[in-house]
This record gives sequence, C-alpha cells and structure tokens, in this order.
Amino acid sequence: MTNGGSTARRPKRRGRKRGSGETNGSEGEVGGEVGAEEGGEGGGTGSVEDAGGKGKSKKDKDKDKKGKKKKKGKGNSSDSKSDSEESMSAGELAALMEAVDEKKKLIANLRSKPWRMKRRLHVLREAQEFVDKFEGALGKGKNKALYAFKIMMMKKWIKFLRDFENFKTACIPWERKIKEVESHYGSSVASYFIFLRWMYGLNLVLFALTFGLVVIPEILMGLPYGAIPRKTVPRAEQPTAQDYSTLMDFNGYCKYSVLFYGYYNDQRTIGPLKFRLPLSYLMVGIGTFGYSLMVVIRTMANNLDVGGGDDADSEFTFSWKMFTSWDYLIGNPETADNKYASITTSFKESIVDEQDRQKDENIHLRRFLRVLANFMITCTLGGSGYLIFFVVKRSQEFATRDDIGWYEKNEVEIVMSLLGLVCPPLFETIAELEDYHPRIALKWQLGRIFALFLGNLYTFLFALFDEVNNKLDDEMQIRNASIWFTKEYYANFSRYNNDSEATPPPINPADAIRGPCWETDVGIEFVKLTVSDIQVTYLTIFIGDFLRAFFVRFFNYCWCWDLEAGWPSYGEFDISGNVLGLVFNQGMIWMGAFYAPGLVGINVLRLLSSMYYQCWAVMCCNVPHERVFKASKSNNFYMGLLLLILFLSLLPVVFTIMTLPPSFDCGPFSGKEKMFHVIMETIELDLPSFVGSLFTSLANPGLIIPGVLLMVLAIYYLNATSKAYMTANNELKKKMQMARDEEKARRNNKDSTNEVMKDLEYLLPGRGWEPDPEPEEVKEEKPAKKTKVKPGAAGDVKVQKDVSLASENPNGKGPVTKQPKKSKGPPKE
Amino acid sequence: MGSRASSLLREEDIEEIKKETGFSHSQITRLYSRFHSLDKGENGALSREDFQRIPELAINPLGDRIINAFFPEGEDQVNFRGFMRTLAHFRPVEDNEKNKDPDAGEPLNSRNNKLLFAFRLYDLDRDDKISRDELLQVLRMMVGVNISDEQLGSIADRTIQEADANGDMCISFSEFIKALEKVDVEQKMSIRFLH
Repeated sequence: MTNGGSTARRPKRRGRKRGSGETNGSEGEVGGEVGAEEGGEGGGTGSVEDAGGKGKSKKDKDKDKKGKKKKKGKGNSSDSKSDSEESMSAGELAALMEAVDEKKKLIANLRSKPWRMKRRLHVLREAQEFVDKFEGALGKGKNKALYAFKIMMMKKWIKFLRDFENFKTACIPWERKIKEVESHYGSSVASYFIFLRWMYGLNLVLFALTFGLVVIPEILMGLPYGAIPRKTVPRAEQPTAQDYSTLMDFNGYCKYSVLFYGYYNDQRTIGPLKFRLPLSYLMVGIGTFGYSLMVVIRTMANNLDVGGGDDADSEFTFSWKMFTSWDYLIGNPETADNKYASITTSFKESIVDEQDRQKDENIHLRRFLRVLANFMITCTLGGSGYLIFFVVKRSQEFATRDDIGWYEKNEVEIVMSLLGLVCPPLFETIAELEDYHPRIALKWQLGRIFALFLGNLYTFLFALFDEVNNKLDDEMQIRNASIWFTKEYYANFSRYNNDSEATPPPINPADAIRGPCWETDVGIEFVKLTVSDIQVTYLTIFIGDFLRAFFVRFFNYCWCWDLEAGWPSYGEFDISGNVLGLVFNQGMIWMGAFYAPGLVGINVLRLLSSMYYQCWAVMCCNVPHERVFKASKSNNFYMGLLLLILFLSLLPVVFTIMTLPPSFDCGPFSGKEKMFHVIMETIELDLPSFVGSLFTSLANPGLIIPGVLLMVLAIYYLNATSKAYMTANNELKKKMQMARDEEKARRNNKDSTNEVMKDLEYLLPGRGWEPDPEPEEVKEEKPAKKTKVKPGAAGDVKVQKDVSLASENPNGKGPVTKQPKKSKGPPKE
Repeated sequence: MGSRASSLLREEDIEEIKKETGFSHSQITRLYSRFHSLDKGENGALSREDFQRIPELAINPLGDRIINAFFPEGEDQVNFRGFMRTLAHFRPVEDNEKNKDPDAGEPLNSRNNKLLFAFRLYDLDRDDKISRDELLQVLRMMVGVNISDEQLGSIADRTIQEADANGDMCISFSEFIKALEKVDVEQKMSIRFLH
C-alpha cells in the first residue's frame, strides 16, 4: 500500500518513472519505455512522413496519456495481490491480471511497433479502455466494493438473459415434430411445415386483434340477440333456423351471430367504457392488412441475410459432412435416430447437387426443349383461361333461364375442379423436358399452378361482385318498402287503439322487413369456401395418402404386380400443391375477414389441426422423394407469392370501404354513405378541433404530391445502393474463388486452371518455348480426372427408390460390449 | 461424494495434472468426482464397459472409437491421469494463455492437438493417413444400410478428391488440417468445464 501511495505522488508529466518495487515486468517496462522514447521520436518522425507535424503533437499527447495510465496501473497492480476474491474465482482473477499486464506491456511497447499512426492510436485507445475497465476489478481501493457489486449484478444479468433465451427457444411449438420430418424427408418438405407454423403465428395475431377488439366488445357490451332486427332471425326463417342443414350452410342462427358482419350494431359508442365499435371495426379491418404486410416484408428482409456466403463452403462439402456432421451433445435415443436419418438425407442431397453440377450436355438442345416446354404450358394456361371465361359467360346466360339441369347449374365449379385436378400433373410431365435441378423445378411448378389458380380466383370474385351489384339494386327498393311498412304499422296501431297518446310497442324484431345485407352474404360465401376447402384437403390426404398406403401395404400380398415398386406405390409429399393451397387459403381469409370476423378463428383452428394431421400423414404414409433436395436457404419464394396474394386481396376490401355504400340496416356502418365516413365522424366529434383542421390541411394535394415524389426518389436511391452492394459482393466472391483456385493449382503443382494465368505463365522468363508438352499433359489429366469424377459424383449410379423409411440407428440398440479390433498390421495398400 | 472422492487424490497429483493439462484446481476435483462415479468397480481405473454406460457415447456411431481413444495402446484400463490427459484436449482455448514454460511444448488443447485427436479417430491403423477403406468404414457406421455400397464408395472417392493435395489417394494429417481450416474447431471441440 505504501508503494502505491508513493507512486501516486509522483509527477505526472513524462513516463520516466523509476517504478520500483512493483512487479518485475513493469520495471523492465519503464526502462524499455525510456529507451524507446528516445529512439521512438526519431523513428516516429522518420516513418510517419505524411502525418508530419500532426504526428509530433499526437505523440506528445500519447506520452502524457501513457504516463498517467502507467501510474494508475502500477498503483493498482500492487494492491491486486492482496485482494480477496469476492465475486470471481482465483482462476478468473489470475487470467484477468495477466490480461491487464499484457495490455500494459502493449501500451509500453507501442512506440516500437512499425505501424502507422492511426493504427497505433486505435490500439492505444482500446488498450486504455481495457485497463480502465478491469483495473477496478483488481481492487481500486475506493470503490472496490461497488465495482465488485456491479460485476456480480452484470453476471447475474447475463445469466438471466441466457436463461430467457433458452426459455424462448423452448417455447417454439412443434420444433421436435418438424425436426423429425426434416431428418426423414429432407429440408424441402420441412420448409413447408415451417411455413405452416409461420402462418399459424400470423393468424393467431390476427385472431387476437379481431376477437379482442371487435367480437368480445360486441358480445360483452353490445345489445343481446333478439333486441334489434339485425340481430334476430326473421319470422319467415325461424322454423328452419335450427336445422342442421341450414346451419351447415351458415344460415339460420349462424347467420345472425357474431360471426358475420350483419350482426354488429351501428351505435357510435357502446357500454360504460364508451367503446367505439364501428371505428374499431374499420381500424381492425385495415390493421389486419397493415400488420400482415409488415410481417411478410420483415420476414422477407430477414431471409435475405441468410442467403449468401453459400459459395464459401462449396469447397470441402463432402469432407465436412463426413467429419463434422454428428452432434456429440445428443443423449436421447430418439434424437439420435433423427440425427442418423438426417445425416443420410444430407448425403443424398449432396449427391443430387453434385449430379447437377457435373452435367455438361448439349446446351442448344436443352434450350430448345425449355422453350418448347414453356410454349406448351403457356398454351395450356391460355386455353384454361379462355375456358373459364367461356363457362362463366354461359352461367350468366343460364341464370336468366329457368329450365336448367344439375350440370348447367354447377358447370362452373365442375370445370374449375377438373382444371385443378388435371393441369398440375400435366405441368409436371411437361416440366420433365426442361431437366432442371429439383429446387428450380419446384419453383417453376409453383409459378405455373399459381397462374392457373388465378383464373379460379378471377371467376370467384367476378361472380361475387355480380351478386353484390344485384343486391345493391334490390336494396333501394327494400329500403323504401321497409320505411313504408313502419309508417303503416304506426298508422294501423293508432287507428285501432284510438289513443293518440300511447306509444305503440316496438315492432317485434323478427317481423321487420330486412334489407338484403350483401356484406353478410359475401361473408357467408367466403366461410363456405374456406370450409369446403378444409374438407377437400383433409379428404384428399385421407384417401390419396392414407388409404393408398393402406392398400399398397396390405394388398401387395395378393396382387399380380408389385404394388410397392410399380403403380401406385406410396405417395410422395406434394410440396407445391400444399404450399399453394396454404397461400390461396390465406388470401381468402384476408379478403373475407372484413365481412366475417369469425373467419379468422375458423382459420386458426384449421391451421392447428392441419399441422398435427399433416405431420402424422407424412410420417405414416409418405416416402421420401426420389431425389431429395435441399430447400433454398431463404423462404423468399413462398413469401413472394404470399405478398402477391396479399395485394390482390387488399383490392376488393379497399374498393368496398371506399366506394360501395354500406347496407342501410345491418352492420356497424349502416346509415352512413360510405364506410370510411366513420373516421371523419370520429375526427369531428371525438378529437380536439385543431386535429380536424390539421388533417384537412394535410389532405391538401399540394402536400401529398411532393410527399409521394419524395418516397419515389427514396425508393430509387435505396434500389441503386443495394444494386451497388450486390455487385461489390459478387466481385469479392469472384476474387475469393480465383484465389482459392490458384491455391489449389499451386498446391497440386500443376498448371493453373485459369486461362489468363496460363497465358501469363507462358510469358514468364525461364519457361522456355515448349508449351506443347504441358497442354497435352493437362489434357491427359483432364480426361482422367473426368472419368474419376463422374463415378465420384454417383452420376451413373442408379438412385434407388427407398421404399422403406430410414432404418434405425444401429447404435441405438444398446452398448456394444465387444472390443474394437486392434489392427496392428502394416498400413493398407 | 465430493469429500470422499477428493480424499483419494493427493495434492501433488493435482499439481502434476494441472501442469500437464492446464485445468484448474476446482476443475480437477470436479472431474475426479465424475471419474469416481463412473468407476463402478472401485478400482481406481475405468474400463470400456464403464464408458459405454454413458448414454451420449452409447448412441453415437463413433462412440466406440472415442472410447478407444481414452485407452493407451493395448491397455484395457485407464487411470485418472490418462482420463484427464484425454479430456485436456477438450479444454477451451484461451486467448491470453501465456506460455509459462516455453519449452513445455504445445498445450494439449491447442487447435493442432484437437485436430490430431479427431484425426486419430478416423485413422485406425495409426499410419498417419486416412485411407479410402477407413473412410468407408466411417461412412458405413454413419449411414448404415440406407445408401448403397456403390454410392458410399463414390462419396468416399469424392471426399478424398476434395481433400487430397499430393495425390496419394489418402488424407494425411496436413491435408486434414487444411480441409477443416474454416471450421471453428476451437469452439466446437471444447467443453466448458464450469468452475
């Protein structure tokens, strides 16, 4: 302690301290520093020419800083040894001491290092920060206790954060299931389930929004069933309202319930909390789209980070798979089985990738075939589009006639189902001409079926809006009729009662004349479509996968040909069909959620059950694909489709909100001219007046147009920047690849593989003028290499169709008790 | 458990082990109690059966080879020193590890020694080369019967082709190092022996 005290009183200026009695190291340091200073100055000026005068002044500053630091450091290092380890163990403390000593040595020797000034300053700053931070840990005297406390709290905090991260990871649902599917079937099939889980999360949030802000307030605080006309089943329908068939059609009690738009009342505020239901309804409707858009784009942006850097491991793929694939922390036998299967699958995936890379066929033939295939598919798509158009037109004609049979009534649905059944396999067969890598082929297939289903969507929407227009026409008439009816009712009442004072009892809600309420009808259509979609999907899985597998397994014994190897055999999981089904389903939900708030709840249930059902079906009835391929690193293709559908489904809803007049007697917007007038009403009545004038002035075109222009410019700028980064990235990758190739060539003592380098090498002196033997040598090696490579890529080997699922981990049966063979003989040939 | 086990371990032993392997005092005592709990025969040494009782090793395809790595050539028992010597390979690498004794050689947990340990798992006949047959054996253990022999042979050929630099159809130790150059061996082959 006395030592520390004496050093504290030393003059601050230069580092020429006779540091006596501290550690041996620092004594040497001081001497070294003094010596280095003299030498350093001369050397410094000489070497750092460009810094010039600046360098000198910086050096002076350095000396002062270093002097101060050294003093403090020395003062503390003497205390450190007598410390008690309250918060750290001996090992850590010793390690810390060593680190601090090292940093101090670095600071002392900084002058003698042949670096530029900037780098020295940078290193110096870092070292000083380090010493600052940790010298307190070594016992700084005054606030040692506080520092120890801080360290302890920080450690506890870090541990808490780590535990929380573990907890969050453990909360991810279905992780084990998906891992199981992934190990047995490959990452492409698992990517579908990951996508499904992501959708489930999205729908859960939408469900919470809708139910929390719209449905629950209406149930809790709104008028109960039967209080007003819109909430009651009309008299005419009441006898059949409880029938199963009516309920299945979503009429009857279902129609007049919270599930649909028509139930909601247009009272401006409800309940004691003055909850503004119409406003909330509109905001939730718009918020659904806003939230979905945000989440989709955020996921797409996150996925972009994952891609790239892929080429870096294309060098030692097989070696890495061989030597580093087992996870030594696995202790559970089931997990070990999964890991075992996944290693197998990953080898198969690599084989497929290798095969693809080794292909070198006639490029012209391939291009021609691809053009031909695309042409055929475009023709098919065009044909189906025209067929749909034709059939829809015919159905409009039929609607006017009355003598139509069953076929004519359902012609549209039949044609669309047939197209949906026939075209995808047709596309797949034509796609075999193209001979793409399975991953790319999947994308093309998805794109084409998507185009096909857009035709479906077009007809559906067309039919729907036709009906809406009809209903709007009806509405005027019925509105007049109902007003007239009410007047008549009062007139009759007062006539029969002869008492002009008494107020007539209100009309029984069941008797009032109702408007057509087209929004509820639209909602019912969407709900029916979703439910039938669910039924069709589940039935298809049951029949197409389960019964088929059952049949193949148990009837194989008594059948003429081998059912398992030939037709029909077990099914493979249809990734494209399922993904598109999911995407279109979500589009329906987005469109329908505004008209039927209960639809989101139905969808959540559907996704939940679908997860379990499909996981079971895959593990039980499917076999892995013949060519197992690795899914693309990013999920962006699926997200892109989803984004497209999101925009498509946004359009009808926005159109409804902005242009169509709401029904006059049902829904939260009844009585208004347009739905978005709710917002204007809220601004006028609820918010302070200046906000209203603010909004009016903001809506000025003079402000909006420059705003839009600014956004367009920003988009352009960001686009240009990102393109520049991408080009720079590619250049760097190319450079790295060239460097690697050079390394390999040099290691192999052979000629460079790069043409340019080959030419340059010939120009080098001493090479002589005999280029001829070399190329021949190279040529000879090349074909030799080729033949070696082809079988190495397993390209000629027939890829077997794995009929049985992956066999079990042989080690899982229990410990092997025999000793391994000790081979002591001569090394193998 | 703790007190009884450590009473069988003397201070000088601990100091020697500390010098040889770099573990700290508390780590050594903790590992000794683990050693003791594995040693069912109570004879101060572990046999192969004792190791196979550990579930993570039992289900590992390369489990037998790892167990083998603990035992020196030709022996069936490993004492605590040998146990620690092998475990020292898995000590995390510290950046500020000052080389206290410059001529003590490389510490047991250096990257080179870790890779050498891994290399010896594959090189059964200790000729410092991994031949195609040895690779085939490892592959067979890792994937079983799901991939045909021809394909396995192709995979082995491809692996050798990737890593082999001097064309002798075998992977030597230096080629092994080069192949795993980009793998973060220091982190992956380290167990955080908690204090």
